[in-house]
Amino acid sequence: MPVFSYLAYPEKGAKEQLLKDLSEVRYCEITPAQNEEILILLTDTPDEDSEIKLQKQLKALDSLQSLSMTFGHVDD
Amino acid sequence: METSERKLGKLFLAFAGICVLALPAIVFWALSYGPDEIEAAMVKPDQTTFDENSGAIFVSHDELTRAYLEGTSNQRTLEEYYSRRQYPGSPPWIPHKVEDESRERIACLTCHEKGGWTEEMKKYTPVTPHPENTYCRQCHVKMEVEGNFVDINWKSVQPPRLGRSHLPGGPPPIPHDLQMRGDCVACHVGPGAVEAIRVDHPSRGNCRQCHVPDSFAGVFQR
Amino acid sequence: MKLDRRSFIKLMAMNSAATAAATLFPGVIFGAWKTVDMASGGLVWKKTPCRFCGTGCGLLVGVSGDRAVAVKGDPNCTVNKGLCCVKGYHSIQILYGKDRIQKALVRKNGKMVEVPVAEALDLVANKMQETIQAHGKDAVAMYGSGQWSITDGYVASKLFKGSIGTNNVEANARLCMASAVTGCLTTFGLDEPMGCYEDIEKADVFITWGNNMAEMHPVLFSRMLATRKNRTNVKIIDFATRTTRSSLAADRSILFRPQTDLSVANAICYEIIRNGWVNWEFVNRHVSFHKGKTNIGYGTEDHFKFKDKAETVDFDSFKAFLEDYTPENVEKISGVPAKDIKYLAALYGDPDKKVTSFWTMGMNQHTRGTWINNLVYNIHLLTGKISSPGNSPFSLTGQPSACGTVREVGTLTHKLPHGVVMNPDHRKMAAEIWDVPVENIDPKPTYHTVEMFRALDRGDIRFMWIQVTNPMVTMPNLRRYRDGAEKEGRFVVVSEIYPTPTSDVADVILPSALWIEREGFFGNSERRTQHNDQIVPMPGDTVSNTWQIIEVARRMGYQKQFPWSEETYIEDIWNEYTRFHDSPKHRMAPYKTLKERSGVQWPFVDGMETKWRYNAKYDPACKQEDFDFYGKPDHRAWIWLRPYEPPAESPDSEYPFWLNTGRVLEHWHTGSMTRRIPILHKAMPKSYVEINPDDAARLGITNGSDVKISSRRGSLVMQAMINGRGNPPMGMVFVPFFDEKYLINEVTLDAFCPISKQPDYKKCAVKLERA
Repeated sequence: MPVFSYLAYPEKGAKEQLLKDLSEVRYCEITPAQNEEILILLTDTPDEDSEIKLQKQLKALDSLQSLSMTFGHVDD
Repeated sequence: METSERKLGKLFLAFAGICVLALPAIVFWALSYGPDEIEAAMVKPDQTTFDENSGAIFVSHDELTRAYLEGTSNQRTLEEYYSRRQYPGSPPWIPHKVEDESRERIACLTCHEKGGWTEEMKKYTPVTPHPENTYCRQCHVKMEVEGNFVDINWKSVQPPRLGRSHLPGGPPPIPHDLQMRGDCVACHVGPGAVEAIRVDHPSRGNCRQCHVPDSFAGVFQR
Repeated sequence: MKLDRRSFIKLMAMNSAATAAATLFPGVIFGAWKTVDMASGGLVWKKTPCRFCGTGCGLLVGVSGDRAVAVKGDPNCTVNKGLCCVKGYHSIQILYGKDRIQKALVRKNGKMVEVPVAEALDLVANKMQETIQAHGKDAVAMYGSGQWSITDGYVASKLFKGSIGTNNVEANARLCMASAVTGCLTTFGLDEPMGCYEDIEKADVFITWGNNMAEMHPVLFSRMLATRKNRTNVKIIDFATRTTRSSLAADRSILFRPQTDLSVANAICYEIIRNGWVNWEFVNRHVSFHKGKTNIGYGTEDHFKFKDKAETVDFDSFKAFLEDYTPENVEKISGVPAKDIKYLAALYGDPDKKVTSFWTMGMNQHTRGTWINNLVYNIHLLTGKISSPGNSPFSLTGQPSACGTVREVGTLTHKLPHGVVMNPDHRKMAAEIWDVPVENIDPKPTYHTVEMFRALDRGDIRFMWIQVTNPMVTMPNLRRYRDGAEKEGRFVVVSEIYPTPTSDVADVILPSALWIEREGFFGNSERRTQHNDQIVPMPGDTVSNTWQIIEVARRMGYQKQFPWSEETYIEDIWNEYTRFHDSPKHRMAPYKTLKERSGVQWPFVDGMETKWRYNAKYDPACKQEDFDFYGKPDHRAWIWLRPYEPPAESPDSEYPFWLNTGRVLEHWHTGSMTRRIPILHKAMPKSYVEINPDDAARLGITNGSDVKISSRRGSLVMQAMINGRGNPPMGMVFVPFFDEKYLINEVTLDAFCPISKQPDYKKCAVKLERA
């Protein structure tokens, strides 16, 4: 059950769009900053396969400029 | 020539004579040992050991070198620390060879009063918080055998957990009793300290201005 | 918050992300996330002075949403450089006690009933006007505090002295700092210390005169310990009447019998002269000698009046006066061995040693408080060890703004923000800045604190407004003053944050905002003013003390003098107030500077703080080279010939013990705030009486057993503490006053220094019995 957290940087001006996009992706919890152009993204997948699928989905998002991982936990 | 009987008799008379002389002296001495003197014979609390020995902290802070105060190592763990004790606060058993089995010459303080690196054990020595008690072996004993004589159903209190600050980043209260453990520097500072409880601000000298004792007092009610 | 493992991991994940975000984007707010137990990232940190003692540490309060959740020391504040004490670290918890007063209360038919704040303010204004109509303007009074924000004291003074026209304005700092004030005024002509905290890093010798600095000014004490460790040959000498944690830390602990500090100080001067350690260059150019009246009384009777008369004398008179105070003579009366007196004298007399003397209540709460302040200054003046780095007779303040508010704004019966009511020029200045007719300001002082409560008892005062203090716990000889406040025809208004024995006697309780719930200023011992913004919102119906007074003033018809808007009133008041101090001797920093910086000292002249006053090297107000004691007309500091006089009440055969009272580290004053902080309550849950182990053994008292303490005024049953936090000598007991269940002031005596009018809480006679 991998748990990761990231700072998600939207493309310029695309913070609202990214918020909308991410809320449609499964296993994601989003907390936007009120006064900066960043979001906190928390992912919690049940197994490694879902994790790999999720990574593919995130990489496909146009509104997402980059992800900076701030926490990672994988149970053995 | 005296017979053995008469010798015995003389011996007995001599003994009786001594008793007769000594008896009043003994009685007189016993009677004169009145209540006042008994009180005087009790140990009076030392004027300087109030406030849970806070004086020791100031002496340690002033006299230890900066190098010692800021020394670190990760040799001693909390697990190892508690494994030497039956319950938190009990006197730990001696985990190393003891030179003098006759218990006449006790040289524990040569290492355990000031701490430092001991080449023999290849370790940093833990420092005792109560060096004024010098008959160490009255409480600290060596384990001679492994295993129990008869199995025991022993349970005790949990050791205090870490991170008990009331506010994030604040100074945690003192979770343990201060009796005989009033010298913070002995256990929380220096290379011989247990790593998990070693403080990251060892050169501050007045520990108890921020860290105060905990208790079971509930919330304040008017 | 019950966490299972997965939730815990997710919380950690969030924390990490928030921390990273806070590092990259300082001040970032994740508004939707209201979790309070989080790591320090993601918090907004705002600066404020600490709410508690006169050290005046700078704090950073961590705010999450609209709650204060964490505290750090402010590394930009030179006072404490990032360190606090246990009270400071947990000070924000005083906002959140369950019984916080958030609504106004009015006594109706003997019961306190919640009312809208506006209604309560109406009642206060009406009652004041009624009382003034029926009994004259001197029948109303304001009793404030050294914990008042500067603007609170300013508007109180403007309302009562400027608008209503009564000098019935006093503050609890009369009970803590008055002797320090009169000591400064009689010796230097101007108030407040001439040195600053930087003296701590520069001194070679520290001598504490009757104060337990390790518990009472812990952060400054830590600075002293650091100096001792970092430099060679630094000594800390504890000169006190009982053995405390400070004694254990000191290099030498010297005990003296109560009140004999007067004799020892004189003996030190005797030794300095005898050994030829007088700094003649300094004395000849910068010192003059004077004496005052003797046999000056103790003030225990109503209407006690005393006015000193100064007579100029010379060094030879001083030397002759000191002949009575040889170390051998003084040893007999003080119990201090002559060799220890000589040791202290040698420390002061050594020209190569920089000496800093610290004192607080041991010298101030003293029936000869003004005199003992003079005598310690004498020692520093004789040796020229003053107004320069490390050489510092330093009076430490007890409260966070006794200096900033009471002493600098002048919330005492005889004072104005600049000068005194007796001086026509000072009245003229006040009338101009306050925009009131100069006839409003009464040239005659009325009552000091003890007399004010006596007047309330007698009925000469019928209305009293009490803000930010707890006199129904702290007045000495308490029974009389509590009974007095509860009499018929007395109307008492109390502005409070928690129910206390004082709010218990109130007719109206106004809910006050705490210091970080409103914008404000405090001024600490070293003349440093510190500003805080409003950091969290005011809860419930609470109102800042300043705004309460403004609202009442407007209802009484003084809109013109109190015109400010709620958005900018603090800044506007600061700008008006600082006009009083516009001279290089006292100029205050501008609002903007105080808002930006973690504290600024006054005098603030041309963008620079004056760290050492009266020294031409550092003080631009000096008009002559070298030293200029410009507070006095002769531009010299005054050495006063002050003798030993006994205390008001000493132990005798019927009452054989001294009663000494004071504080402990964990609790602030009467405990109304600190007892509601869990960690502090747990560390020190109740009060006790400290008894010497030998005395206890003789009386058959054991640790924790019940003891009855009685004086001629009252008695209490308390638990004994033996070998606890401190150890009194034989024949003395000590009781801290933080516990409202043990009102030790029912036992104390309301004798005071006739010059400062400050009561002596450290000396009266009691007897002990097993209860």
